[in-house]
Amino acid sequence: MRIASRGLPPLVAGLAIAYPFLVPNYYLVYAGALTVMYAAMATSWNLLGGFTGYVSLGHSAFFGLGAYGTGLLVTRMDVPWVVALLVSALLVTVFAVGVGIAAVRVRGASFVIVSIALVSMMNLIVQGWRSLTGGSTGLQVPSPFPDLHRGETHMVFFYLFLALLALALASWWYVSRSRFGAGLRAIREDEDKAESLGVPTGAYKVTAFALSALFVALAGGLYALWFGSLDPIFVFSILIASSMVLMSLLGGVRHLFGPLLGALIVAPAGEYFLIALGETQIHLTATGLVLVLVVLFMPDGILARFSRRRAGPSIPDETAEQRLQGVAP
Amino acid sequence: MNLLLQGLALGVLTGGLYALLASGLSLYFGVMRVVMVAHPAFLFLAAYLTYTVHTTLGLDPFLALPLTVPLFFALGVAVQRLLIARLAPENMAMMSVLLTFGIALTIEGLLGTFYTGSYKSVSMEYATRSLTIGGVHLPYDKIIAFWVAAITLLVLFAVLIKSRFGQSLRATIQHREAARLVGIQTERVAGYGFGVGLATAAVGGTVLALITPFFPASHWVWIGKLMAIIVVGGLGSVVGAALAAVLLGVVEGLVLVTVDATWATIMFYVFLFLTLLARPQGFFGGRLAHRF
Repeated sequence: MRIASRGLPPLVAGLAIAYPFLVPNYYLVYAGALTVMYAAMATSWNLLGGFTGYVSLGHSAFFGLGAYGTGLLVTRMDVPWVVALLVSALLVTVFAVGVGIAAVRVRGASFVIVSIALVSMMNLIVQGWRSLTGGSTGLQVPSPFPDLHRGETHMVFFYLFLALLALALASWWYVSRSRFGAGLRAIREDEDKAESLGVPTGAYKVTAFALSALFVALAGGLYALWFGSLDPIFVFSILIASSMVLMSLLGGVRHLFGPLLGALIVAPAGEYFLIALGETQIHLTATGLVLVLVVLFMPDGILARFSRRRAGPSIPDETAEQRLQGVAP
Repeated sequence: MNLLLQGLALGVLTGGLYALLASGLSLYFGVMRVVMVAHPAFLFLAAYLTYTVHTTLGLDPFLALPLTVPLFFALGVAVQRLLIARLAPENMAMMSVLLTFGIALTIEGLLGTFYTGSYKSVSMEYATRSLTIGGVHLPYDKIIAFWVAAITLLVLFAVLIKSRFGQSLRATIQHREAARLVGIQTERVAGYGFGVGLATAAVGGTVLALITPFFPASHWVWIGKLMAIIVVGGLGSVVGAALAAVLLGVVEGLVLVTVDATWATIMFYVFLFLTLLARPQGFFGGRLAHRF
């Protein structure tokens, strides 16, 4: 069991790298790139949601801003695409620090409300600011690789998203072993106690918020370069954020590979629904029902079922009696 | 000047409707500490049911109410007893948002499948004219909406203050354990509280159907607006939500006539963020809302 779980990540990584050469057609490369993009976004969402327990339904705001930032820099200012991607992600991160300072002042349900409000507001502003963003007709972004045909472009972006996923996973892993990560977990367990023990909760929460926005913004920028056309109603939809939440919850928010596992299930299922049922709205119902079922029956995710550690608070609540038994000779 | 008066009058009328739509949200939050993201989705479910009753039977939209109100009351009790009461209490706030978010997506998908994504509207001949007082035009549909909302809210307040059920509901909101100690069956009361909240959504949906065209994804805009109202008013305070609703309705009306529709909607979020920065518990919520 232990050897199997050690050997699994390199095996999966190897399979992922070989994936575009294993599949028979470019459509599956496209679907793979989309899945890896969602996996990267869910993993970066989990930098905030998994560690601190702050559920954000507003991360599509950072996705959309990253996408529009990159697109506008490329089209309006003729910046090379790599520079545009990095500059726009940096700007979004700075913006996220500002939003974070206001947003993490409130906890629980109010935080979720604020995050929903953030997306709706960005959607309104981008649609309303017609002269800059093209309004609801959208924004066209030229392809960064004009010499490649469509299928090859899918392949390039598959590897770009894979690199982003690796970066997000490495960050999560690094944070989970750091003092910073321990502080974030303390916030999840009991924010007041953490604060009274000297954890700088405000600064930690804002940092986690901005860090998780950074990777989502990078994914958004790559998406803009990949798809070449941005629809404000899609990129700023709560649906994207809710996919990140659903994937993370389904896989398990307390595990490094939880969001990745969730993405590997949810994203292909979504693509399959699209092919099998066409462009109907019933896929929304499917997403909604799965979310309800996961929240009701599996809030700790799939991986929690397989790990031996019992779900629940990582600092178990003991009764005085249990504690006495522990110290009794 | 006339323009401002027009904006003010429309704002007050719309604010009255907002107060009704937000009152359900306050009830849910009061009884279960649940932010019910699916409330606007239920509003539009009611609007579509009204549309069906109106187009297939040719009845006045308000005659759909005897059907939708009891149905929504039962649905509310079912949602609370079968879904929300099952959530683990320690993570209630976050999980309930996700749960009701899932319900909202489910409803939106079903509406889109059955009614298609195009705009629908219910227009009655009597609702298209408008009343002119001193140069200010007041559309009849807005006036009807205001009075229906006002009457429903008055009935709601009367029930909450006078009836025995209302007393036990308020006791449950104020202190759940103490309420149980004096013999109130708080689980059952919480279920009925949800039922009443969703019944207001049935009334609100019918009114919405009358005053505005709608499509399945319309509820997203309303989530933001209604959430802003209950946060500004103070989570869990029905009176606070009503006052904030009229305030934000007037602000929206004034910005609408002086600037444009985009900014009018953005004002809701501006007020939301300002409230959180200045007074996170809202302007009428007390101790109850502080930790949410």
